[in-house]
Amino acid sequence: MAKEIITPVAESKFILDALKENQRLDGRSFDKFRDVDISFGKEYGDATVTLGKTKVQCRVSCSITQPYEDRPFEGLFIISTEMSPMAGPQFENGSNTGDDEVLCSRIIEKAIRRSGALDVEGLCIVAGSKCWAIRADVHVLDCDGGIIDASCLAVICALLHFRKPDVSILGEQVTVHPINEREPVALGILHIPICVTFSFFNPQDVEENIKGAGNNEIAIIDATLKEESLRDGVLTVTLNKNREVVQVSKAGGLPMDALSLMDCCHKAYDITERITDQILALIKEDSQKRNKFAQILSSENAR
Amino acid sequence: MSIEAVCGVLTHVDGSSQVEWNDTKVLCSVTGPIEPKARQELPSQLALEVIIRPAKGVSSTREKLMEDKLRSVLTPIITLYQYPRQLCQITCQILESGESEYEFSEKELSCCINAAFLALIDAGIALKSTVSSISLVISQNNEVIVNPTGAQLLNSRSVHILALELIKEMNIVNNVLLLDSNGDFNEKELFQVLETGEKSCLALGQDLRKVIQNNVDSNIIQ
Amino acid sequence: MSRFEIYSPEGLRLDGRRWNEVRRFECSINTHAHAADGSSYLEQGNNKIITLVKGPKEPSLRSQANSLKATMDVSVNITRFSKFERSAISHKNERRVLEIQTALLRTFEKNIMLHLYPRTQISIQVHILQQDGGMFASLINGITLALIDAGIAMYDYVSGISIGLFDTTPLLDVNTLEENAMSTVTLGVIGKSEKLSLLSVEDKIPLDRLESVLAIGIAGAHRLRDLMDEELRKHAHKRVIKASTK
Repeated sequence: MAKEIITPVAESKFILDALKENQRLDGRSFDKFRDVDISFGKEYGDATVTLGKTKVQCRVSCSITQPYEDRPFEGLFIISTEMSPMAGPQFENGSNTGDDEVLCSRIIEKAIRRSGALDVEGLCIVAGSKCWAIRADVHVLDCDGGIIDASCLAVICALLHFRKPDVSILGEQVTVHPINEREPVALGILHIPICVTFSFFNPQDVEENIKGAGNNEIAIIDATLKEESLRDGVLTVTLNKNREVVQVSKAGGLPMDALSLMDCCHKAYDITERITDQILALIKEDSQKRNKFAQILSSENAR
Repeated sequence: MSIEAVCGVLTHVDGSSQVEWNDTKVLCSVTGPIEPKARQELPSQLALEVIIRPAKGVSSTREKLMEDKLRSVLTPIITLYQYPRQLCQITCQILESGESEYEFSEKELSCCINAAFLALIDAGIALKSTVSSISLVISQNNEVIVNPTGAQLLNSRSVHILALELIKEMNIVNNVLLLDSNGDFNEKELFQVLETGEKSCLALGQDLRKVIQNNVDSNIIQ
Repeated sequence: MSRFEIYSPEGLRLDGRRWNEVRRFECSINTHAHAADGSSYLEQGNNKIITLVKGPKEPSLRSQANSLKATMDVSVNITRFSKFERSAISHKNERRVLEIQTALLRTFEKNIMLHLYPRTQISIQVHILQQDGGMFASLINGITLALIDAGIAMYDYVSGISIGLFDTTPLLDVNTLEENAMSTVTLGVIGKSEKLSLLSVEDKIPLDRLESVLAIGIAGAHRLRDLMDEELRKHAHKRVIKASTK
């Protein structure tokens, strides 16, 4: 980050004291995830996720290219998470080597790309010579904490929403059919990873945290920007609905008891389940809206 | 189709606006005046950092060129000398392009200019005058089309962007800030473009005034 | 998938260990007494790591000085010859390396009594001469040893370990072959407690298995902590004898 966010001493003390009394500034309970709002754009593969005041847009696009030599049967998939000063003055344009930016892009990379959420083998057109390259551009429009969670949601929603043009292959000849000519095809999404971020605060002194057996550290879900700037530690858990841990990242910070961390993972699972259902329902709704001929062509009737 | 614009859509910047016009959608944020980095600082005036980010892919020379044009439009209308040794960051994010990005940038740029103007007002940066911008094409059958669609751009003979400086409650044209024309056209056609463009810019100016008025009304308790 | 048998029905791993055995762990401190204030050389399995700690010293830039606590920086150098095939490119600016550096920095920031050294800088340099499985975990052990050698006040040891999950069996302290064949978890454990400073899972693991993996990992980390402690005491004993015979 270019400019550090400086929270005034009085305000930070107020926030921390409130946390010690089980209160948060926005009135949420400690394990309440902010309401997720997802909207889709006019084109395929355009999803905007709003998480409280945090707003992230993801745009998925595709092009045809040559596969890597060592992986002739796989397509390419790139996720780009570049921050701009639009999200807040703490971000700098073009420099993404700040600690938080690196962690954010690495976590999204692990959560979605490395976990195999997108079926890259399905992107192959002609083995060794032609394949689809899928690109997801994450635009953080407004940052009020939880960019990792929101970005991950935006990418997965945009991937689910995206349709690539249909292709037909005749020998070596590949024909790409424009979207208005032939129904475009959806990507193969193998699972839906959801990130949930926990922020830790230490209400006591450092010795008690390290040597004590009290385990009184405070863990809150989905911190806002102010809470993020004051936290002592952070844990991002990525899960999917199949009860699989896709990725966990606690890169240092406040030492936490292993059992409390496990507890966080279980809490995250409940949230994952809920959000996954929400996404799937929205995707279904959107595709029905787009496919206005389905009703005419369908053999279903009121009977 | 008239322009759809809102101000104050973002919370962590000083001013912001979202402009949607004929399939093109741009979000713009303005932060400033803030403390610049040493290399950006200008001793006597406000430094501008203009960023345009494309909807898809990484920004390239195309966006750099757009940034440059946007800067040249904004520089004359901001009272730069009121903020010496300060910085103003203007970031435009294209949300929906509405045109073939390989060939054109006209619709995006004209939307960026309008969005940046609204965001500057929302941020409370002092301006000397106002601006409105439109894109035009001359079609194959020599018609001048204001604010074309993506398909009309593809079938055009020449494409133009016009940005005019407006004064007196945006009723009078004071100056031409940008006229960028590409393609096949002659002098007569160019004047025709200017003439049609002037009318449209003035009409757009009134629309922008309404947006600003709505924003002021909703922000200030009377 | 693999022509190796990762874990045989008899309960033996590729290198002949049982599931709950750690690899060869040899460490020494004060190995580069002229180059740094604290140093260590660690061999954990086939990982070979040199760690240098310089500081607390005057910050190289005035802007880095903090009047309340020491500032820290960590740089990780994965040498090009650290793998069997020489790497064609430098690893310096890889995102993975940047991530490791940040994670190490944030782990030790909370375990060093930084407030005792205001307006100073502590820089940690890690050089990886040879890579094996669980490299990230070994870096933690190397840094802990070097910090102790430098005499920098810490609250407790931080020991790192990686655990793999083969089907339903957790395998302690994985080597490269095992690491490539299954999901692994890396832990950074504080002293003899059950507190985790660092936790990183990079591949899919069933949620219900995570707890048993953590339990084995913590036990393994405690074992490594004892091995480090033993070596440090031996080293200290030698130095005390040397000093008293002068």
